[in-house]
Amino acid sequence: MRVVAKYANWLIWAALMAAIILWFGWGRPPNMVGLFVASGLAVGSLYALGGIGIVVLFRATGVLNFSGGAAGAAGAMSAWQLVAWGAPGPVSWIGCILVSLAFTLAYGRFIAPRLAWRETVVKAVATLGFALIILGLVAFMWIDDPRSITLPTDAIGIRFLGMRLTATRLMVFFASIAIVVGIYFYLKHTKVGLQMRALANDRDLAALLGIPILRVETIAWGIAGLLAGFTGLMFADLIRLEPTVITFMVIPSVAAAICGRLENLTVVLIGGLSMGVIENMLTMSSLFRGVRPIAPFVIAVLVLLWYQRGARLTFAGRD
Amino acid sequence: MKRSLFHITPSGRAGLITAALFIIFMPMIADSFWLSVFTSTGCFVLAIAGVAFMYSRLGMVSLAQVGLMGIGGWTMLRLNHGFDMPFEVNLILAATVTMLCGWLMALPVLRLRGLYLALVTLMAAGGLEIIFATFQFPNGGVGFWGVNTGSTGPFRRPALAESPEAYLRYVAIIATLGFLFIEAHRRLFPGRAWAMIRRSEAAAMAAGVNVTLYKTWAFGIAGLLAGVAGALLAGSLGILDGSTFKSSESIMIFALAVVGGARSWLGAIIAAALFRILPALLNSWGLDADLALVIFGAGLLHAVITAPNGIAGQIYDLLGRWRKDA
Repeated sequence: MRVVAKYANWLIWAALMAAIILWFGWGRPPNMVGLFVASGLAVGSLYALGGIGIVVLFRATGVLNFSGGAAGAAGAMSAWQLVAWGAPGPVSWIGCILVSLAFTLAYGRFIAPRLAWRETVVKAVATLGFALIILGLVAFMWIDDPRSITLPTDAIGIRFLGMRLTATRLMVFFASIAIVVGIYFYLKHTKVGLQMRALANDRDLAALLGIPILRVETIAWGIAGLLAGFTGLMFADLIRLEPTVITFMVIPSVAAAICGRLENLTVVLIGGLSMGVIENMLTMSSLFRGVRPIAPFVIAVLVLLWYQRGARLTFAGRD
Repeated sequence: MKRSLFHITPSGRAGLITAALFIIFMPMIADSFWLSVFTSTGCFVLAIAGVAFMYSRLGMVSLAQVGLMGIGGWTMLRLNHGFDMPFEVNLILAATVTMLCGWLMALPVLRLRGLYLALVTLMAAGGLEIIFATFQFPNGGVGFWGVNTGSTGPFRRPALAESPEAYLRYVAIIATLGFLFIEAHRRLFPGRAWAMIRRSEAAAMAAGVNVTLYKTWAFGIAGLLAGVAGALLAGSLGILDGSTFKSSESIMIFALAVVGGARSWLGAIIAAALFRILPALLNSWGLDADLALVIFGAGLLHAVITAPNGIAGQIYDLLGRWRKDA
């Protein structure tokens, strides 16, 4: 019985997911349902990747970063520009990641430390200002125009259980899992990882112990920048290359991060993937088809309600 | 007691002067384009006053204010096309409906603190954006959603304010009343409870303040003002479009409230001017409106890092120094 209680949340999640897939997929060819689930997993991986970037940074630095999407958008547009100038593919991908890394690191190194003593909400709002600056510059430099990025993996099709999937979708899916596993081991087995966990636990105590806060935080911003660049590139390829859309992709990413309560990366990953799948399954319902992008937000709010059932406002806790 | 309830602060004076300017002179000199810009600025002043007050008095961040305005506007149009009631009745109903929706939205976070209210309102803003984009705003069609492709039904403006000039005055007067409404709350018992919660929730609880109730109350006021603002915006044009109520706009409104200065009337007016008048100016000068985003972002960072009271705070500081020198 105690085992059941321990895993109750997971059991409920699995039952709900199965119910949703069965409900919307009932009476349709399994192939088609499988295809919807697979492409939902790809979209969900993007949400999850964005959420992972947010959570890693939030835990290490206490900053909820709204500018990840904008940094990714700047990177993706730069990649498009490099290709337009005739640069080979790999150069443009590296360019994309470097551009978002540069933006994110610049903020993390030069602006974030000036706000370290402010409230969490204020720090989050400040990143919003940075996101607006990036978005404004990007929209100013690249006038609205239909553009697209194609990766060589788009052309590779892989047959899996009778479904044809592009290698890009598979790559995003496995990359999101690999990144969670990688970050887990990084946090657990390296010195900087240990320092990050110390910072996440208690900043003031960590500072007293002599942990080089600025250095550890800069590394965390670097990780967030790399993730933002990769996510931006993948989003531009799989969904749309439009700065505003990529910038505000940060909102469903925040939804995924909320699922993991801004701390648990595994739950962020699973939450993000589930959101993508549910969103895609809604396409099959004539009633919900129009409002399907709403799924991540509704899920995040429901998860939040579920977490705080029975909670009471008490004196305890800093925030 | 009486003096402290009715005395006029410098910020209040600035607000009343601006209101007078908008009520008396602006309608005389503006052409039809600027009349509509000023009218929508007036609506956004109200909405911004709501978020700014919540942030400065309670430290609560709402990132769904424009989404809530959308609810107010939707209700207004729905009532206008569905029933035969006068504008003012619709306005009150729209504001009430918006307030209730705001409460419903805040329900998941009433027992959580800080960042989570901002995140949940952000989720709500994202959701509302999709709902407005999918179902559109009523324009005289049949059914609950009331959307008619092609033609648009007539919109009844208030009997007092049929012309654009009179409507601008009407909006300015209601915005002023909105500010006075907030100020009255601040100077009476809810204001005292809010001040205590702002300092320390634990201390407020220990002193017997019902923290959840007063936070909900503040959120309700912000929702009410957003509803009025949305309904007035609907009255300005007679139609509304989903693209006005995107979640990015809600975020922008909050950011600008901080840039302008969340603590004062003048701040809300500056914020609304930046939001509506600056892009219109850039456009009429032939500059790219995207540059406004860069200005907003830089202004936001500047405000957050060096000027906690925003542009309005800096203006007051400047005036204070000038007065001391003189």
